[in-house]
Amino acid sequence: MTHITPWRRLTGHRWIARPEFGPFVLLVVELVVFWSINHDFLSPGNISNTLAFTVELGLIAVGMTLLMTSGEFDLSVGSVFGFSPVLMWTLMNSGATSLEVAFVVCLVVAALIGLINGWFVTKLKIPSFLVTLGMLLVVRGTALFITDGFPQRTWSAGGHWLAKILVGDIYIGDFRVYASLLWFAGVVLVLGYVLTQTKIGNWIQAAGGNPSAARARGVNVDRTKIALFMLSAMLAAFAGVISSIRTSAANPNSGTGYELEVIAMVVIGGTALSGGRGTIVGTVLGIFILRVMRNGIVLIGVPGLAYNIFIGAIILGMMALHSWLERRHQAGT
Amino acid sequence: MGELIRMSHISKSYGRVQALDDVSLTVNESEIVGLLGDNGAGKSTLIKVLSGAVPLTSGDIFIRGTKVTLRGTTDAISQGIETIYQDSALVTQLSIARNLFLGREPLTGSKLFNRMDRAKMDAVARDLLKRVGITKNIPPGTPIGSLSGGERQAVAIARAMYFDSDLIILDEPTNNLGVAETQGVLRFVRGARDSGHSCIFIAHNIHHVFQVVDRIVVMRRGKVVADDIDPRTSTIEQVERVITGMDEMH
Repeated sequence: MTHITPWRRLTGHRWIARPEFGPFVLLVVELVVFWSINHDFLSPGNISNTLAFTVELGLIAVGMTLLMTSGEFDLSVGSVFGFSPVLMWTLMNSGATSLEVAFVVCLVVAALIGLINGWFVTKLKIPSFLVTLGMLLVVRGTALFITDGFPQRTWSAGGHWLAKILVGDIYIGDFRVYASLLWFAGVVLVLGYVLTQTKIGNWIQAAGGNPSAARARGVNVDRTKIALFMLSAMLAAFAGVISSIRTSAANPNSGTGYELEVIAMVVIGGTALSGGRGTIVGTVLGIFILRVMRNGIVLIGVPGLAYNIFIGAIILGMMALHSWLERRHQAGT
Repeated sequence: MGELIRMSHISKSYGRVQALDDVSLTVNESEIVGLLGDNGAGKSTLIKVLSGAVPLTSGDIFIRGTKVTLRGTTDAISQGIETIYQDSALVTQLSIARNLFLGREPLTGSKLFNRMDRAKMDAVARDLLKRVGITKNIPPGTPIGSLSGGERQAVAIARAMYFDSDLIILDEPTNNLGVAETQGVLRFVRGARDSGHSCIFIAHNIHHVFQVVDRIVVMRRGKVVADDIDPRTSTIEQVERVITGMDEMH
């Protein structure tokens, strides 16, 4: 046997064994299939439209990735996504403060929501499913209550500098992108770096993998989790504000159901629901897999109402793949 | 051999149950002490007290003659007492290197970036695995989940050695291990002693204890009933009689 064969087998094996490999292949297949049926699928206009909404969900999903890696998840992100812009625009429209102050206030309130979630989960030892389910209802209810259920005016944001920084248009030739894409890219890079390269990232993974072992080594598991709950809520608020400016609407009902779509994106990408293992690259793939699917099936003429069938099938398929990889990984020694 | 740890008149009761009754035990430098006793003899409680996991009811602990108070496991680790429980001390999803440095990750570059010095972590991990006696070439990036039980023990022992734990407590390190793996773990324990660490070795299997320890301590019903049995001059049968209480040996 030559030296090359086992070496190539090893590298090939490693590539395929990575949790991101399956999602990557799926995304490529989606792109190829949709493009071959309808070439408009990859037109600049369609890509630009798809990206605009994708990054808003994506911001929530990358925050959720870190939180899930630490062994918790947050069902209240969808309602924070709806509530935060409502709060911001209500403050602004009532003449109480300027847009800048209202923006900061809504981020601080989101951080507080995350803090409460984290405190309930870590100090009172209540499962995050129950805590954040309760918070989902509280936050959504508050948004509906302060607005009487009506959308808030947002048109006055027009040329405001904050609006431009968050979602201003950038034209690259005919191709229009929103500034939010850059925010998303920045957050992805930073959080990807944090998770894989830093001490904090090591603590996040350890907190989710084996909290008692982590505690015994001096890792502050509770504080790590609380910080991640706060990050998750703040990213949801940030995404909600961006969305409200882009669509010129702050609807107290917006974001309904996002929590489940976001969790689906994260697990499709290869992050473990039970914690300990997380991948930002995988989540980015997961985000695109679901958004491309939603956009693509409409473009190729499948009724939009059938969307959930495909999403469900993707989740089941990917979970089967990840569990198979996991078992093979464990058995391979 | 100087005295490393002295536990003096330790008692621990859970309500009306007296788990430890006036226990005194000394471990010297570079010594492996085998702690034996039937189920419920108080071994686990003694270890938990020493690793800071449970507070003692009365008594004192001295490290090199200085009285210490252990308020928690982190406290004990920082005082140089490291307890290795089977499977519970490591994060299976993380790599060997990441586990070795968990909680004490070395940083590189500006503090602001919080960046781990992964080159150093990998280099130390490679070196440690060799020192602890693993001959197989295992990359430091390998997740703990794909190691065998014996290799996991080796990683935990290596970690204790690297962070200069004076006392390494091994609770049933050979449980569920095959013959070759068990010999490996016993070799790691001897390696740790030979590089200047002390160990308390707890195992149900007396044969394993006899192979590796310098001195045997036997507990029964919360008391130390023998604390100076030399495995070179005693037989397994004699020790078994002490454990079950059929014979006193002093």
